[in-house]
Formats: sequence, C-alpha cells, structure tokens
Amino acid sequence: MLDLRISKTIDARGAFCPGPLMELIGSMKTEPVGSVIEVLSSDNGSAKDIPEWIRKVGHEYIGTEQNDGFWSIVVKKNK
Amino acid sequence: MAQETKKISIILSSDHHEKVQLAGMISSVAAVTGIEVLVFVSMGAIKKFKKGISDDEKFSGGDFSKVLREKKVPPYLDLFRQGKEFGGVRMFACPMAMEVLGWTKDDLEDNLFDEVAGMTKFLIEADGSQLLHL
Repeated sequence: MLDLRISKTIDARGAFCPGPLMELIGSMKTEPVGSVIEVLSSDNGSAKDIPEWIRKVGHEYIGTEQNDGFWSIVVKKNK
Repeated sequence: MAQETKKISIILSSDHHEKVQLAGMISSVAAVTGIEVLVFVSMGAIKKFKKGISDDEKFSGGDFSKVLREKKVPPYLDLFRQGKEFGGVRMFACPMAMEVLGWTKDDLEDNLFDEVAGMTKFLIEADGSQLLHL
C-alpha cells in the first residue's frame, strides 16, 4: 500500500468504536472524489468494521496493514 | 437472504450511561450506513440530555460506565450529533417525561432534538421499522 498516493491520513489511535469510523467519515465528506484516505486505528473492532462500512456504502476498500499496536486502513472515495 | 434493514427505531428509556452510549453508537453507525434512525427519548433517559450536566451525571449508571469513562469513549452527545450530521438520525423528546420534570425544550441540549413529540407520533413514524428498546 506504500506506493499509493495517500491524500490524507487520519490518526484515530486511542479512540474507541465508533470514533475512528466517524472521524473517517468526517474527513471523507470534505475530501474530493478519488481521494485515497488512510485511517490509523488502535481499536481492533474498528479495524474490522471500517472495511465493512466501506464496502456497504460503495467506496473502494484498498486494504488494511497491521502495524505495531494499530491498523492502517486505506479507502478510496468513489462518490 | 434477510431483508435489508432500512429503518431502525430506538426507544431509549434507561438513565444508565452505558445504554445511552449504546443508543448513540447504534444511531451513528446505522445513519452513516444508509439506515434511517428514529430515537424516542423518554423516562429517565431524558435526564442524560439536560443542557449543561456534568460528566459525573453523564457517566452515572452501571459499573461498565466507569470503564467507558476511563477509556475516554466518544461522548454520546457527539455520536448522536454525528448521526444527524452524516445521516438520517431524528430524535424525539417525550413530552410526558419533560412535563413531569417541568422542563421545556430549552432545558435540553441544543441541536439534538428535532421535536418534542409524543408516543402516538413516534409509533406512527416507527411503523414498519426494526424497533429496539434500551
């Protein structure tokens, strides 16, 4: 995922469900279509839930990378 | 395959923080997933929405609320507001609960309740939705 051009990174580490998802959505509203957005989350539940949300609402789920104590979830805004 | 959920109605009556928090979580996540949400706040739960209450009052209730407070979970007022901002969360304050407390809409948190509306209106609006009680 490192070769992707990430438009914006949201650091939601330390926030509990559904904080990381809400922070992501807040940012997605202001970023243009086509943006690639990364959200960092230390919450295990959010790391699983955010990809589910991305698929459900029709954005492109790029992938998740597990780091030391947190996850990096990457999404492309489709609409 | 189960029929897709289009609308959830929540009757929130508990004055325990953990239940109000859960209602906020369900509302916000459902709203951003394209599900219409209607929340009817009645009985003791209305006290959790009084303007200007302290954190001690917000986090009162079961033992689990202490853990939630220590871990700094997202404030429930923020969750409901995000649900309104990002999706279709509508909130009704129960006129009966407010009347017994002697409250008007001004006693409630701003920018949260769409209307003070009673059980009849709620039940009509909630028709056909998935109903949750917390």
